[in-house]
This record gives sequence, C-alpha cells and structure tokens, in this order.
Amino acid sequence: MRAPGSQSSLREANSQRILEAVRTFGAITQVELAAATGLSAATVSNIVKQLECDSVLVTSATTRSGRRAQQVSLAPTSQLAFGVHITARSLRTYLGDISNTVQHSSELPLPVDHRFDTTLDRAALLLGEAVEEVGATLDDVVAVGVALPPNLLATMTGGALHGWEDVDVAETLSRRANRPVVLEQQADAAAMAEARFGSLRGSSCAIYVRAEETIEAAILIRGQLHRGIRGPAGALGHVQVDPSGPICRCGARGCLNTAVSEDALADLLRLSHGPMNLRQIVASAQRGDAGCRQVIADTGAVVGPVLANSALMLHPEAIVIGGALATAGELFLGPIRDALRARPLLGSADELLVASELTRHAEAIGAAALAYDSVQTPGPAGRIVG
Amino acid sequence: MSPSAPLLRLTGISMFFGGVHAAEDVDLVVEAGEVVALVGDNAAGKSTLARVIGGVYQPTAGTIEWHGRPVSISSPRAATELGIASVFQESSLVENLDVTDNVFLGQELRSRWGLLDATRMTELAKQHLGAVNSRIPDLTVPLRTLSAGQRQCVAIARTLVSSPSLVVLDEPTASLSVSQTADVLSYVQDLRDRGLGVILIGHNLTDIRAVADRVEVLRHGRNNGSFSATAASYEDVLAAITGATHVART
Repeated sequence: MRAPGSQSSLREANSQRILEAVRTFGAITQVELAAATGLSAATVSNIVKQLECDSVLVTSATTRSGRRAQQVSLAPTSQLAFGVHITARSLRTYLGDISNTVQHSSELPLPVDHRFDTTLDRAALLLGEAVEEVGATLDDVVAVGVALPPNLLATMTGGALHGWEDVDVAETLSRRANRPVVLEQQADAAAMAEARFGSLRGSSCAIYVRAEETIEAAILIRGQLHRGIRGPAGALGHVQVDPSGPICRCGARGCLNTAVSEDALADLLRLSHGPMNLRQIVASAQRGDAGCRQVIADTGAVVGPVLANSALMLHPEAIVIGGALATAGELFLGPIRDALRARPLLGSADELLVASELTRHAEAIGAAALAYDSVQTPGPAGRIVG
Repeated sequence: MSPSAPLLRLTGISMFFGGVHAAEDVDLVVEAGEVVALVGDNAAGKSTLARVIGGVYQPTAGTIEWHGRPVSISSPRAATELGIASVFQESSLVENLDVTDNVFLGQELRSRWGLLDATRMTELAKQHLGAVNSRIPDLTVPLRTLSAGQRQCVAIARTLVSSPSLVVLDEPTASLSVSQTADVLSYVQDLRDRGLGVILIGHNLTDIRAVADRVEVLRHGRNNGSFSATAASYEDVLAAITGATHVART
C-alpha cells in the first residue's frame, strides 16, 4: 500500500488519467492527451514512454494540422473481433480484443422495416470507422459476429426483421466486410458477454433471460452455451401461459410471448397513451407514469412464474435478466424475485437473481467474443461462413 | 394523447420573400416528448419553417402558439428565452474561437462579479459534448481545426446550454460519417426520452424514419401529408415528397 500523496501514487494516478483518456478518445496525439488530462506535455511524454515499455500503449508517428505528432493508442492484448447486433429498430456494434482492453461501441437507430442491404452496408462501414478510431487496421480484425433475433435462425412465420427471411446475412456481410462471419442468437450472444465480462463470470450453470421485444433465454452449462439439437434452446417465450390465449408466431397457442411481447405491451397502452414502443414505455415508467409502471410490473409478474418453473429443471447458480425491460430495474425485477421466492427449492431468490452488468451492447460484445472463439477453435461456436 | 395544449402549434404559416412563396399556409404541431420530422425536396420550405420557429424570420401570415399561448418569436434570443434551441444548416459557429467559447457563444456564464466563469464553462462544455458522444480531446483548439462531424457536435452541444424544451435540428447528419450519424440519432432519442420536443429536418429517409414519431411532408411550401413513422412505408413518404400523391388537408 503506497502512501497517498507520495510521488509514486501521484504517478500512478496520472497513468490512470492517461489510460482513461486513451480509452475515451481512441487514437489520440500526445499534445491532445496533455489537453484532455490537464497534465504537462513532459509528464504525458514520460508516462506514455513507461506505459509503452509495459506494453499497455503503442505509439506511432502521425500528423495533426500539418505538424508531426506522436499518436497514442491502447495496445490490444490480442487480435480484434467485431460484434454486430441487429434488431427491428437498431444496429449496435462493438469492436474489442479478448480482454476487453480495446473497446469501441456505437448504436445506430434504424427505421421500421429497414432494408437488409442498407443495414449490412452500414455495419461494414461502421467496422471501418471503428477500426480507424481505435488506431488499428482492418487486418487486425479476425472475424465478425452477428447477433440476430431468433426468427432468422429458426422457421417461424413473420419475425422481428421483415424482409430479411431469405437473406443470407453471413454471406452478404462477409462479402462487404471481407472477413469471416459467424451468426448467433441474440440471447446466446448476450449470455456469452455476461459470462466473459459481466455478472456471470465464473458461473458454471446459469440462465440468461433477454426481456425485450420478446422473451428469450440462454442456458450456460459448465460455462458453455447449451445449444438445442433440433431447434433453439432457451425458448422461454414459447412456454404456454394461457391455454385459451391467441396463436403465437411459432404456431402454438397462448405462448408467453403472446402475453408480454413489445406489441402486447403497446396494445395495453394504446387506448390510454397512444402508440408507444418499448423504449418509450420504459422511459415513461422511469419518469413515474402510473400506467406504464403498471404494465411493466405486470409483465414481471407474468414472466416470473414461468422463469421459476423452468429454473427448477436446471437449478442454476445464477439467473441474469437483461434487455430493455431489465433497465426498468426493481419495477420489473421485483415481481420476478417474488416468483422465485415462491419456489423454496431454488434457494435464496436474492442470491439467485443477479442484475446485468452490461449495457445495451451486451449482444454485440458477446457476438464479437463468439466470433473470436470460432476463429481460434473452429467447431461448436456458431456457423462459420466466408 | 395528452389533454393539455401541444408544446408548439403553427397554424397557417406563410412566408413570402417578395414574389417567392417559401411557405404557404403551413400547419405543424409538436408535442412534448415527440420527434417530428420535416421532409421534402430542396426548396420545399423546411429550412424556412425552421427559421420561423427559431425567430430568424417573421412569418408573413399565420399564428404560433407555445404551450397553447399565442406568441411572436421576434428574434433568435426570444426563441431561446421561450425554450427553443436551433441548429441551422449553415454553421452559426465562429471559426477562430475555441470549442468552449463556441458552445457558450452569446450565453456565457458569469461569476458573481460579472466576470466570465471560464472554469465552469469548460466543465459544462465537456459534459454537454460528452452527452453527444463527441470525441474532441482538446477544447482549447480553434474551431477551424475540427472535422465536420466534430463541428456538428459542437453546434448540437450549444443547444443544451439553455436547457430548452424544443430542439430544432436542420440537416444534422448531412456530411457525417455513419458512426457520427449514429451518435446524433442516439442523441435525438435521448432528447425524446427526457421529454423534449424535437423537430428534425432532413433528406435521408432512413435516418429520419429511424428516430421520428411523425413525418410531415412539405412540397413547394405546402403541407403534403403527415405520416406515422412506424406505420407508413418508405414508399408512401417518398411518393408524397415527389408529388406522386397529393394529400388533401383535413
């Protein structure tokens, strides 16, 4: 333990500041580093030299406003992988190395019924821009992982991405980005991200629930994703909750997804609040709107028992809830915890239910991790094309 | 939706420049927490309308209601005081001032003794620029050294200074890269989540439809249709812009 205020602890704090700035701004010149951190040019130069010796940073010669400058960027611990997550209304990307040292993410909102060619083209462009911003080259990227809604990987009528049903996403993207592409279920990708970098680190058996447009789940056994043999595993949204309910997209009757999908929640609010999407419902609930709070709490109360029943089959170490509904916090998680508590065999519900540690980019982060794995050990992880 | 009056209501706005009818009898309503897109060909009257709302032009005819109260927006300063912040197409930034000065241009913070409060302005400028996810490491460089995308971030960060309730963005993603476009569009969504009204003007229907709740089409200075961004198809909106369909006013 170093004494606070000593020379060495000051130096350590300054190193932290410099690393923080490089992480925020990506590739940055030493002069800009001095301005961003408020440290003197000499201090920056010394610390950068030290960190370069420790293989934390790398420097290269560049020019800024016509003058020679020293560009500083993070030294990746491995080659990079690019993760893409495509949903009905957004394109999220993530570029990182295996230890998450280098990381760059972005989120592009998309229109209703976005076209596959425009969206995949933009994904490829975002890859190029992200690589440039972290100060790497395209050759450093070993593979691209794409996390997709379930309808593209299973046979279902009408799905989250209209007009994408017959599109070969892996082939199209690998041609544009000139990299091998791996496809993944979005819930599996998010679970992988939690297992590598989030709250499932070190868990051997866990359930990840992605509560967003629909309810999907992923199962981790011995730290590995459990994949279904003839169809997707973790189809929590297709557990029956109402034998006399409407017909689901999967063809069965009264699935959980017919009761609590984004469309179902929007229908509940249409008369009183007008048309809303999930993001707006969660935002309104957080601002204190009573109707939206009620809808989210009731959703938790419907999902909770289904999850508790399924968990009995597996008795996992941890259950993580992610997705947009989870960002509503206790409002959504409270009723789920109550349902888990009602099954004493599961043990302490407070220990079982863990909050997600990752942001909205979990799926893209997981897709990148799985893409990286697929290149290292070709085989079980995802499908490789390209 | 809400029983209260809309944030902004324009009724029968006309703007004539001599014989040129830039806008004729245009209606527009913006609710709080709503993103309204204004689309149309060149010279459809989009930017004219933005300038009327921003207090740059005085309309030849028509009424403007703000929170249900008739107002006249006599100058850009009056618009700012009402709570309307605008980013116009041609930059209103000063090339030889630094980033912080530009963010606070015309609305500088002063300390108790009437002196400029540079420390707080730098802090807030960093915060506002962070909100638009801009990657400008050095706020003391003159604006002319920044890229087009970084300048756009500065222009948008400017709007945050006055804590507005309506933000008007005229072609905010023109000349931006995809990742910068992503940041600007995400920022528009954040504004809506915070309950602000947003008027978004643009050409690129993909970007517009991504964040708008409602798309209002202007054609030759007149309204030519109003579409729900989630229900209307790309082709419907395009047909209204090009004049393939004429939408009768209700």
